[in-house]
Formats: sequence, structure tokens, C-alpha cells
Amino acid sequence: MTDSDYDEILRLLCDRLSTLTNSELPITPDINLITQLSIDSIKLLNLIMEIEDTFDISIPINGLTDVQTVRQLADLVYKIKSTS
Amino acid sequence: MSSTITKLNAPLTQAFNSQPSSELHLTPTPTPNTVAQRLANFATLTDALEYAANGVTGYNFYDARGNLRSVLPYHSLRQNARILAQRLYNFNLPRGSRVAIIADTSPEFVELFFACRYAGLVPFAMPIPVNLGSHEIYVQQLRGMLESSQASIALANLDYFHFLQEAVEGTTSVQWSGTPEKLQQLPRLDIEFQANHPNETAYLQFTSGSTRTPRGVVITERALMCNLQGIVRYGLEVKPDDRSASWLPFYHDMGLVGLVLAPMVTQISVDYLATRDFAIRPLQWLRMISRNRCSIAFSQPFGLKLCTMRARESDLKELDLSSWRAAGIGAEMIRPEILRNFAEKFASAGFNEKAFLPCYGLAESTLAVTFSKVGQGCKSIQIDHKTLIDKRMAARLQADGRKQNEFVNCGRPIPGHTVKIVDEDGRQLSEMMVGSVLVQGNSVMTGYFNNPEETHKALKSGNWLDTGDIGFLFEGDLFITGRRTDVIIVNGRNIRAQDIEELAELQPEVRSREASVFGVNDEDGTTTIVLVIECRLTSVAERQSLITRLQQLVYMAFGVNCVVELVAPHTLPRTSSGKLSRFAAKQGYIQRTNLEHQLSFMESGDR
Repeated sequence: MTDSDYDEILRLLCDRLSTLTNSELPITPDINLITQLSIDSIKLLNLIMEIEDTFDISIPINGLTDVQTVRQLADLVYKIKSTS
Repeated sequence: MSSTITKLNAPLTQAFNSQPSSELHLTPTPTPNTVAQRLANFATLTDALEYAANGVTGYNFYDARGNLRSVLPYHSLRQNARILAQRLYNFNLPRGSRVAIIADTSPEFVELFFACRYAGLVPFAMPIPVNLGSHEIYVQQLRGMLESSQASIALANLDYFHFLQEAVEGTTSVQWSGTPEKLQQLPRLDIEFQANHPNETAYLQFTSGSTRTPRGVVITERALMCNLQGIVRYGLEVKPDDRSASWLPFYHDMGLVGLVLAPMVTQISVDYLATRDFAIRPLQWLRMISRNRCSIAFSQPFGLKLCTMRARESDLKELDLSSWRAAGIGAEMIRPEILRNFAEKFASAGFNEKAFLPCYGLAESTLAVTFSKVGQGCKSIQIDHKTLIDKRMAARLQADGRKQNEFVNCGRPIPGHTVKIVDEDGRQLSEMMVGSVLVQGNSVMTGYFNNPEETHKALKSGNWLDTGDIGFLFEGDLFITGRRTDVIIVNGRNIRAQDIEELAELQPEVRSREASVFGVNDEDGTTTIVLVIECRLTSVAERQSLITRLQQLVYMAFGVNCVVELVAPHTLPRTSSGKLSRFAAKQGYIQRTNLEHQLSFMESGDR
């Protein structure tokens, strides 16, 4: 895994989140998934499913407890991807 | 929404078509058994397991891709649980000491649960964290349960152990915490097992996400076996060729009692999918039912809705749901259209709508209270809306064109149990009159552990359990029309208003008794949580900061979004004793926001 992989993950997440949430806000890495994007449980499940299928990883449910921003989510995906 | 779902589904099917390379050499436990079936006629759980261990059936655990990951026949469960019990003796705990276990869907949880019973200890299941950013609040919830139960031992598998460790810090009762592997390293003490007595506590069931006032329902061996008999004989009419499939969490009453214990006491096999895996790929559950020819599987309506949303035509072709004879529906208000949509969608996959089995129950009565008749499908009646509101009476619809409400028939009480409907003063109401639902019988809890105040609120004289739900009886059958304002159901999650108010009051800007929480429903049945706060802040930035913080906290604790409204002090209506009235707070909110159609009979009956 390289930095460009990380950027790719981040770019893809921002892209998907913008479709999923129909947000007026531009999706930046520091945007808060909970308070700014109002990700509800169904949207979250859709997002996880898509991340898992795109990156061919399994996101452990306990990993999400420390995720609040888009960047933190990208960090998690990057971490799982590089150790799998 | 639907286009997104379809798109999301595309890679999913491919993934499934390319299995099953990793299925190794595991074979699930069979459906036919080698011993004669006994239907929960045992004195205790361990008696039941001793019998089930003579056969070849048991529990099977599948991963997110549908591959079988572990197999736990009842005879192995018995053996492993007995060995673990001998290791638990190292702690030299008095009988009845509590053991906390974070319950993911795993063989380890079940083994520990039964090990506790062999060792005369009282296990209870704690939830796994499911919400974004919930770390801190989840640890507080765990700590609340550990303290309320005065647990002596706490266990979690490696994935969740660090949360447990944080929660254990600062508690006084927990003398050992570890993973199942760590417990395995302790020596086996050769002490003879003492038989459990039916009057002893079998387990605790926590029912609330509150950090300050968790409520651990105390269920005795007798209550449990009584309820299990009602479920498997009267409710499901379990037969030797039955097989179950479940995604329900082991830390909920329906998951634990209905889909872990009920199959074991009837010696039938079960196939499990972790709740998280179901939530992300709900069709896996249906594939499991189809492939293994399962006949009994329960869900909340929300789970069925997820399945309906996600299924595509190509998925339907590969499913055969004709073996599914009992599709139990419970745990939240049943909206008939969710069942109709599901039945319509999956009819071509062989699903028979007669399989729908609406039922009603709650953890305070072990699990089940009423069952409709198995094999008859979902029955409902149309009730005149105006009469319901004006007279609190269920009148069958007389004329077309009047506004109506449809309610699902939840059936009759299991044998030995009685349901009655009472008014606000506790007087019994006649049939068709709407009031509080009370239940009496041997399945009813002895109380909340270490919590006389809450016990007193729930258990009325004569050991009548106040369920907190509102409904009516018609020709002996129970119809639930709503819950009181103190429970809000969003996407299948039951959330206590009090728990959210408590969270709000933890904020320095919010004083005690100045927060009120309730749910408002859209026309399409979507529920939104509203949090009204009396607030003295004047600066726009400070007010916005409070709103954002509260929304974030509520999300972390309960996984739902909410609307926060800040109002001037003394806006929230109070009762003569100074208590906030959630019902009146809601009426006020509705008037302020012009949601007049929201005014409904369902939410009357404040506590």
C-alpha cells in the first residue's frame, strides 16, 4: 500500500458519500459523518457493503466505534487493506 | 433510494456466485435427529442440554459470505461447557454470582453461557458496539451493566476485550476479566456439579441502553422453561423435522430465548448469521433458509423490510423459501404492509404468506406472551380512526371512506398466562376498549436485578406485569395499537425516552428535568426522535454547539439521528408533581411545528 492508494481510498469514499447522502456540502476529509452528513443506520450499512465489495475487505464492527470523520474512515480502510 | 440499492447490490451477487472455495470440510449438523424429540419438558437448562447431547443436532455458524465457519453439536456444547465450568470453579464464587459476557454470534458465547449454568453462576449477555463513534458511550453502557449486576467475572472475545477492559476499570465487583482463551488456560478443578433448582436465577436480560439506570430482568429456570414450553408447543408446534435459521443478536431476548434456547430444548439444529452480516447483506439469511431447508426463522418487521429492499429478480430465482413454515414476527409494532410487501416480493421464491406468525412479548415476561395460530398467516382488522381517538374504543370499520387504522392480530396468551387491558386507574376494560396491556403468569420476571424502584413500576399487585404497551382484546386475541411515549422504535431499535433525556442532562447546559424526548411519525410510518430542551443560552454559536453535541451523543449511544429543539425555560408542560409530561411536550411540539396530523391516540397514557 502506498500514499497514492490512500488518496484513492479517500477520493472514493468522498465520492460515494456524496451520492449516498445527497449532501449539499462538498465532502471533505474532515467532515463529520454523524453531525454533518447525518448518516443513518441504513446508509451506513450501504456504505460498509460498498466499501467491503470495492476493496475486498471485511470491516470489523468494533473498528467503527472510533470513526467520526471521513478521514478516520479512510484510515480504517487503509489499515485493514494493508494488513490483509 | 432504490436505484442506489440496486447499484450496491451488483457486486454482491458476483461475490456469492464465486464461492464456495473456503467451505473446507465442515458439515452442518443434520436436521433429522437420532433421539426422540422432547418439547422443553425439563426442570432446568442443563437438564435440557444433557438430553440434547444424546443426539446429533446442534448450532452452526456462518460467515458474511455464507460459508460455514464452525459447527457446535449439542454433545460438543455439553462437553465444552462442562470443562469451562470446571475452570470457572477456580474463582471460588458463591452460587448465583453474575458473569458478564459480550455476546457476539459465536460458539464461544454459547459455551460460556452454559458453562455458567453448570457452575451454578448467572450469565448475562452484553451487547456489541454497533454505532459509529460510539466507543466512549459504549464503554459507559457496559460499565452500567457491570455495576448494576455486580458481576464477578467479565468475558469478551479478543475483538471486544479492550472495551471490556476499559469498562471494568473503576468497577468494584469484577475480580477477573479476560477472553475465553485466557479462561481456557486455567486448570480444571474436579468438583462435582450441583444440580440447579428451578427457583434459581437462570440468567439476567438487560433491556436498556441507559448508563445510569440499567435494568437487568431476572429470569428463573422455572420461568424460562415455562416460557419455552409455551413457545415450542403452543406457539410453534415444533416437530422433529424442524430447523431454525437466525440473525438475531444473542444479547436480545428474541435472539437468545427464541433462537438459541428454544431450539436446544427441542433438540433441533440452528444456522446462525451474525447480526452485522445480516444487516449488510440480508439476503444471506434467506439463502441460508433456502439452502438448509429451514422451517423456523424469526425477525422484527424491520429485518423483513431490509430483505424486501435488497432483493432483485435474479436473487429470487436462486431462492426456494417453501420450507419456511413459521416466520415469527415480533419485537416491534407490526405494520401489515411490511409483511405484505415481503410476501409479494418473495412469493415467486416459494414464500408462503401463511407462514407469517405474528406474536407479542417482552423480556420482562422471558420472551413470549401471545402467539397467533401457526400456519394461518397474518390476520388484521380495520378499525375506525375517529372512534379510536374519541372513545379509545376499537370499532370495526362500518362504512367506506372513513379514515381507518389497521392492526395486526397477535393471537392469544401462551397456556398458563392471562392478558388484561386496564385503564389509567388500573380498572379492567372490556373487549374492544383500548388501554394498558398487563400480563400475568409463570413466565413473568421476579423483578429487575438490584433495582426495586423500576421493579415496583413494572410489577403491579397480584404480580401483573405492566408491559408498557397499549392495545385491546377482541374475541380473546390481542391487538397492539402503540407503545406509550416512553419507548420510541426507530428502524427496529427500541429506545427508551428516559435514556436519551439522561444523556442530554449530562451536558452542563442542560438541567435535570429540562429535557423531554418523544417520537413523531410520518405518514409513511418513519419515526423521528425529537429532543426538546429548555435552554438559557443566548449566543447563536453556543446554541448550535449544544444542538450538534446532543445529536452526536444520541447517535453514538443509539445509532439514530434526532431533531433537537431549544425552547425558553418553562415551555415544557409539567404535571402537578413537577414531572415533565412527554405526551404534553409532544403535543406542544406538534403545534409549534404545525404537524397537526400527528395528534393521535396511540401516545396517550404517560407514566
